[in-house]
Amino acid sequence: MILQTIINGLLIGGIYGLATIGFSMVWGVMGIINLAHGAYIMLGAYIAYVVSARLGIEPFLVVPLAMALLFVLGYLIQAWMLNRVLKTSLLLSLALTFGINLILVDLMVIGFTSDFQAVTTRYAAAALEWGDAFVPAARLGACLFALVLAWIFHEYLARTRSGQAILAAALDREVSRLMGINPSRVYALTAGAGAALAGAAGVLSSMIFPVSPHMGNSFLGAVFVITVLGGIGSLGGAILAGFVYGLIQSFASAWLGVNYQEVVAFTVFLLILIFRPQGLLGKKYFGEGQ
Amino acid sequence: MIRISPRSSLLLALGAAACLAALAAVPWLAGNYWMRILTNVMMYCVVAQGLNVIVGFAGYHAFGNAAFFGIGAYALGVSEVLGLGFLPSIPVAAAVSALIAALVGWPLLRLRGHYFAIATVALTMAVSELVTNIGGITGGAQGLALPLDTSQSPEQVYRQIYFLMFGLAVLSTLVVWHLSGSRLGYALRALKDSERGAMAMGIDTRRAKVAAWAISAALTGAAGAIWAHWMTFIEVSSAFDITLSVKGYIMMLIGGMGTIFGPLLGAAFFEFFSTLIWSRFTEVHNLVLGVLVCVVVLALPFGIWQPLRRLWHDRQGRGA
Repeated sequence: MILQTIINGLLIGGIYGLATIGFSMVWGVMGIINLAHGAYIMLGAYIAYVVSARLGIEPFLVVPLAMALLFVLGYLIQAWMLNRVLKTSLLLSLALTFGINLILVDLMVIGFTSDFQAVTTRYAAAALEWGDAFVPAARLGACLFALVLAWIFHEYLARTRSGQAILAAALDREVSRLMGINPSRVYALTAGAGAALAGAAGVLSSMIFPVSPHMGNSFLGAVFVITVLGGIGSLGGAILAGFVYGLIQSFASAWLGVNYQEVVAFTVFLLILIFRPQGLLGKKYFGEGQ
Repeated sequence: MIRISPRSSLLLALGAAACLAALAAVPWLAGNYWMRILTNVMMYCVVAQGLNVIVGFAGYHAFGNAAFFGIGAYALGVSEVLGLGFLPSIPVAAAVSALIAALVGWPLLRLRGHYFAIATVALTMAVSELVTNIGGITGGAQGLALPLDTSQSPEQVYRQIYFLMFGLAVLSTLVVWHLSGSRLGYALRALKDSERGAMAMGIDTRRAKVAAWAISAALTGAAGAIWAHWMTFIEVSSAFDITLSVKGYIMMLIGGMGTIFGPLLGAAFFEFFSTLIWSRFTEVHNLVLGVLVCVVVLALPFGIWQPLRRLWHDRQGRGA
């Protein structure tokens, strides 16, 4: 029983971690809290639904397509809209992303109605048995895929010139400008990459959760908590905190009931804010917008 | 401060008086439909002014003021169920909200910037979960039905609620007006610019911040209280609705934060438009609303108050 709870928590945690990286990076680099991040995840899930459930293509193969489409969307939204707002007031970005979220969610309601959809795979019922615990194959695959993507993104940040530029901007915006980094381009790149990772997380979660236009909102709550828990702008922190959050959620629902899942999550959240506002792996006030 | 000549200040006062008189006559001039919409507009005026105190003056971005709206609503509900009448329950609800804001503000207002913003969101969620799980007198997950007042016709009740919201909107504007010239107002603006600087000037920044949040919570809580009586039935999901915070925030941004009349303009502008959109495009109203928010933010990043003020200045300049 305990083993099963741990397995459930960890498998979901990997996807939560991937879903959080983009949000956390965008916050860390630009100080933007992107309220449309949940909608990006939702769009990824719908791309999986359209391509996979209707055309019968393996969901894992849809990931690159979803990432490419969402990269373009995230890049353009940043370049055309958010960069303009950043020059005036950072907090306007909240209002703007709130508006973008409304638009994206409503577009999907118009296109696909509010009904729940499902992406079912051939191996949906398959599971590995480990003692008396089950490891569902789809969840295991999704979790491993999420970790691989996170690792690739980490390598991109660490080894490429543009990745280094993103890290530099996250570390110190003013000094990175002195080093010849063009902030507008780095911001758009970060936003695009963040959206692409959200899209990938959306595709993976479509195999586990029901797909609906409003699925992004519940994701956004989890992503918020995980970002703060892991430390804003920290990739490793996001993955670690994703697992911690998944475990907290699964233990809370196993021991206290599903109703308490969120109470416990937000209690943890408030405690962290008060006692360790920099998160597990973050630096103090790293990524503070002002 | 804007320097206003005696002639134009007279005009301004006359204009304000005419507006107030027109709004006071609404229940007799316009139908129930418009009275309901205006009651809503007034409610958002109060919420936006409440945010103005903590965000516009103190620079602390409280996203979760919906917590105090809900606390006010539930305080009124419980107080009515316990037998205290509607009118005496409103100040009770405001006081409860202010007290809770002062208590949680003490630790939370240590957090800065984004951290404070998220903490207030978490506060809203924590309080709403708490109310759901307490059950008992709050009704818990089943919601709370308020005792119905049968001595008044529904017509009278709606009229009373309209005037209460209207009065509260005027009161909150007077509070902000008074604040802008008061010691506390100057202290808040100083700590908004630099907290350390304000401390060096001898300002007790923590007390000033807590006081600002308590004022903000009292106004928001009173609005929630009147709203609860209006609805007669309250639920956790509607009383602690985070979109209320976000909407109030956007209204304040549109109007111009830290100004006295900006939040009123923003609330009226935003709520009218969204009602209009809601009635015209039922299917796609969120889409149109989203586009409206984006256009406003991109076209008027400093709110609608600033351009209006500039217009006013230009006219003044030419007249002199």
